[in-house]
Amino acid sequence: MADLYSNNYLIVAIFFILGLALPIGALTAGRFLRPNNPIAEKRTTYESGMEPIGGSWVQFNVKYYIYALLFVVFDVETIFLYPWAVAYDQLGLFALVEMLIFVTLLVIGLIYAWKKKVLEWD
Amino acid sequence: MSQFLAQPLGWGTGLIFALSAVVLLGVVLGFVTYAIYFERKVVGWVQFRHGPTRTGPLGLLQTVADVLKLLLKEDIIPALADKPLFVLAPLIAFVPSFAVLATLPFTESIHFADLGIGLLYYIAVSGITTLGSLCGAWAANNKYSIIGGMRAAAQMISYEIPLIMSLVGVILMTGSLNLIDIVNKQAEMGMWFFIPQILGFGIFIIASLAELSRTPFDIVEAESELVAGHMTEYSGFRYAFFMLAEYVYVFGMASITTLVFLGGWLPPFEFLGFIPGIVWFILKFSFMVFFYMWLRATFPRMRADQLMQLGWKVLLPLSLVNIFVTALLKELL
Amino acid sequence: MSGQFVAFFILSLLTIGGAVFMISLQKVVHQVVALAFSFLSIAGLYVMLEAEFVAVTQVLVYAGSISILMLFGIMLTRHDAHEDTGRGKFKFLAFIVVAAFFVLVFMGIQTMNIEGTPANFSQQNNVLEIGKLMFSQYVIPFEIMSVLLLVALVGAIILAKREADDK
Repeated sequence: MADLYSNNYLIVAIFFILGLALPIGALTAGRFLRPNNPIAEKRTTYESGMEPIGGSWVQFNVKYYIYALLFVVFDVETIFLYPWAVAYDQLGLFALVEMLIFVTLLVIGLIYAWKKKVLEWD
Repeated sequence: MSQFLAQPLGWGTGLIFALSAVVLLGVVLGFVTYAIYFERKVVGWVQFRHGPTRTGPLGLLQTVADVLKLLLKEDIIPALADKPLFVLAPLIAFVPSFAVLATLPFTESIHFADLGIGLLYYIAVSGITTLGSLCGAWAANNKYSIIGGMRAAAQMISYEIPLIMSLVGVILMTGSLNLIDIVNKQAEMGMWFFIPQILGFGIFIIASLAELSRTPFDIVEAESELVAGHMTEYSGFRYAFFMLAEYVYVFGMASITTLVFLGGWLPPFEFLGFIPGIVWFILKFSFMVFFYMWLRATFPRMRADQLMQLGWKVLLPLSLVNIFVTALLKELL
Repeated sequence: MSGQFVAFFILSLLTIGGAVFMISLQKVVHQVVALAFSFLSIAGLYVMLEAEFVAVTQVLVYAGSISILMLFGIMLTRHDAHEDTGRGKFKFLAFIVVAAFFVLVFMGIQTMNIEGTPANFSQQNNVLEIGKLMFSQYVIPFEIMSVLLLVALVGAIILAKREADDK
């Protein structure tokens, strides 16, 4: 059983290494095949043929950040849903009530966000 | 595969694992090559065109030629770009897309790592790709890229929540996160999960389309407004790896849908059981891939604001309802 | 077991390397990426401790969403300028303090006596055991967690709303 566990994760590691080796190998092989003539014109930033005005590392709207925050909160919530769902057979009704309370509190958060119009994308 | 997994690790078994992974990589690359060809043919067929016909018989070598072209193309890194991150980003995007395949079983005997947390592993690791495309977008230092990358990331994170939650219903019915267990449970119930979990299935399909950023959710690429979003400045093989990651996810997502909702390698009727499981898997898998392409040829693109509202205001509450209805029914029945 | 040792060595090197890069890199976005690498390597360490579920949680929550949150947070600010930090002055002093702290922690770990037998989670269903414990023994912390999450959510919305109104 312990062998099974370690072998499983060895395969996962092999997949990660292989996934890393393919792009590195292909890009290195490509280096010998492709032309390399970087002139200044080619290396300009593309903006549909216009000269770019100003940099692009600008300040973004705060709504993106709120979405990311909502995402983190609900991500944590879903992580709790998984062990609950797996163990549900052996826990029964009490666990259902517990989870209902947990989710209700977070749904209140969602409704609050909804009412405050942070879910609007304008 | 199971008997090798149970053995203590030696050079022999290690070599078998490595070789099987290389074989899968070959299969996936072959799949991607012909999925792109097939997609162009299907879309062409729907729109009354021929699609590629010139390169090789029936245009079969079209994608091969495209890949060779990308390999021979000059690698341009914009002067204003942030070079280290620009180089690293395609790697961050591609590696997880291949690593997630480690947990997929294709039949009861043809599988790789048989993880106890298989389904969760797939979802968790696939989330890292968002980081890759966001880094690529920022590193390119291009306005189209960064707007596209931010939009893409916002879309990905908004639809990841319904995607994860829609699977909880299935977990409730199975009591396991292992993908082989999930398929075996469907055999035991004599019913594929898309029937009892029809709401979850619907949410999963919509959210998975958004995660794959395919039509109608391809605002990420939006060639007409954002010039391919986070990939604007990428060319040659770096661009190829972003595209490759996208198609490898098509492979992964079609497999996951097949396994979780469409019964994996199970035959639709008992008397068809003499046909080997892998054939059924491939049939269902191909149907899912065709379905993605069919949608692309049929649907218009969704607007960015509608997209976000659909994710948070419709799919998220619905998936919560699905979870509690499933749990309650399980308690009552 | 030597394979395990090699894996542990590589993963710890990546974890520490990620952390060191996170501190020493100049651009904030680079720092976040280094931190994400550190998070991922920690997930690998959890896998080695036979805590699959914790590892996946680490990947999903930290590497997958906290780093995105940080990147979005960076995009919120003007991040094109380099910050000039007044480093160098106290470099030597800082080094001594850190080195002393390291020695102290190292000695502490070396002399620490861990009792009990190590848990053997690979023999059983990891997620199931966590679920059973969480919903029987640890119900109260679990429910309080949801209050904490709610407060975090509401607080963040209030702050962000104020920011948006100021513009």
